[in-house]
Amino acid sequence: MTMKPWVWGWAAAGLAFVVTLMLTSGRGAGELAYAALSFGAFAAIVGLGQMLVITLGPGNVDLSIPACMTLAGTLALKTMGSDPNTAFLGLAVALATGFGVGCVNFLLIWLLRLPPIIATLAASLIYQSLAIWSNRGLRIKPPEGLADFATGRFIGVPNVAWVALILAVVVWVILERAVWGRWLLASGQNARAARLAGIPVEAVRAATYLSVSVFAALAGYLLASFSGGAALNMGAEYLLTSIAVVVIGGSSIAGGNSNVPGVLGAALFMFLVVSMLNSYGAGAGIKSVLTGTIIIAIVIAASTRRSRQ
Amino acid sequence: MKSILMGAATLALMAGAVHAEGHSAATADKRIALSNNYAGNSWRQAMLQTYAETAEAAVADGVVAAADAFTTSENQTTEQAAQIQNMILQGYDAILLNAASPTALNGAVKEACDAGVKVISFDSIVTEPCAWRIAVDFVEMGRQEVDYLATRLPEGGNLLEIRGLAGVSTDDAISQGIHDGIAEHSQFEIVGSVHGDWAQDVAQKAVAGILPSLPDVVGVVTQGGDGYGAAEAFAAAGRPTPLIILGNRQDELKWWAEQRDANGYETLSLSIAPGVASLAFWVGQQILAGEDVPKDLTVPFLTITQDDLDSALETTPEGSVANVSYTLEDAQAVIAGAK
Repeated sequence: MTMKPWVWGWAAAGLAFVVTLMLTSGRGAGELAYAALSFGAFAAIVGLGQMLVITLGPGNVDLSIPACMTLAGTLALKTMGSDPNTAFLGLAVALATGFGVGCVNFLLIWLLRLPPIIATLAASLIYQSLAIWSNRGLRIKPPEGLADFATGRFIGVPNVAWVALILAVVVWVILERAVWGRWLLASGQNARAARLAGIPVEAVRAATYLSVSVFAALAGYLLASFSGGAALNMGAEYLLTSIAVVVIGGSSIAGGNSNVPGVLGAALFMFLVVSMLNSYGAGAGIKSVLTGTIIIAIVIAASTRRSRQ
Repeated sequence: MKSILMGAATLALMAGAVHAEGHSAATADKRIALSNNYAGNSWRQAMLQTYAETAEAAVADGVVAAADAFTTSENQTTEQAAQIQNMILQGYDAILLNAASPTALNGAVKEACDAGVKVISFDSIVTEPCAWRIAVDFVEMGRQEVDYLATRLPEGGNLLEIRGLAGVSTDDAISQGIHDGIAEHSQFEIVGSVHGDWAQDVAQKAVAGILPSLPDVVGVVTQGGDGYGAAEAFAAAGRPTPLIILGNRQDELKWWAEQRDANGYETLSLSIAPGVASLAFWVGQQILAGEDVPKDLTVPFLTITQDDLDSALETTPEGSVANVSYTLEDAQAVIAGAK
């Protein structure tokens, strides 16, 4: 039996969890798991979107995720203005923002034939500036009901983790059971062959770039509601995180191969490894070095497995 | 607001009488530029806002001919060095500098000095000797946090330290002060330390991750912009709220007021006011007016105590940072204090 590449992300998350708890001899296990599920959810949501884009093949990546999160969070919270019963209006604003960002990104890539890295990076400066211009960095509180939802739990699991899980199931079904998923994988493995086989490659690309932005916008909306308001730098750490969870999760960075369960495990791992190093009192420098080393080790482990298959 | 500006206000009154004129006529044809490395958080936004108000009024009053603000988009030293070179070519008489690096801009700053341009660095200062430095005594800020904790919790206990952005000198200085304070008050022990990057959501995440492994914590020492996130993380973990030192953000002050009304919560809030840009403007104006200004100036930090809380909340815009706009008299007082 061959090891699935997603096993490694989960194994590493489990290990980091156990090692952290060794310090407390088992105390606080529930607390740590709950925190990991809460914060892992945001990384998972943006990671799922990034995974779809990376699956499109070499050169495809969305670097506008942080700016999209910030813009969607800022606009949504400004629209809601802390008024009760506006949660769905805010959600609509956030998703519409994500849709708009996705359209702009794809048009830059498709019409101007810009490499996605350049297009999304350059466009993200515009999104970030729009976010600054729209609200000058003021933190507006989310409506109380929405804040309660974002920080609340259902059957002991954080609500945001349920959102991430539902989204993951939907993405998994589309990738594994729907024609669109086959088209995406085929486009990522060989765009020319896919086009000759009659697959609407550009439509697949358009849908993918729209999805990643809508996912990022949703994450921005939830994160802003979770942490008591949108901040201009709130998406910053999700740029590398979104790519790291895809790679650790066992998806191929060269595209054409995606892995939904791996992204979830990797998202938990990214939170747990930092918590583990913090708990052991590692300094900032050592923490960065160890985090990088561990990520490289997992990626090597996962990819060696794959090449032997 | 001014009452909470420690020391500076009283000094201002004394110095104001001496230099009533401020040599404003001497600088009427001078042009000042602000070179700012970053605009992506509420503190910097408030800083740019205060600077714009001060500059606009000064230009309208004919104190200076121009006082333009420029911000680099990517917070890169190369980009800011190029920006400074452009300002030299554009013929500005003085450059106010919030620097992306204490050392990497020294070359460009030296070029400006050699071209006869006065460079005044503030907040994030540069080490080039030809430039003026308006710095905050961040080490003292860290020490005061622990001193305050010692008055409130004389029996001591476990502390959690939330640091800022790793690799930035401000982070090292505040942390240094905190550790100096702990050495003095040995009844305290730091049992955990995380980096919150001066952002509520990052701090919340880091604190939530380390809390399960910590024993009971009686106090949290912070660097500003991270107190509310820490409070949220303690609440989510179902732990009692410790004594959290705050950093003047409006959401922190509002939370403080709510806690005070609910259960008599008492704490201290301190940070550097974004209005320091307006202080830099007036110091620059004084240098251009030919005043003898020492190269190293210290700006007081803005401290909010239990008694000031309501007035500070009133004057701080929703979602912003407690601020104070410095005047020419304040600048003269700071200069006189450094002589």
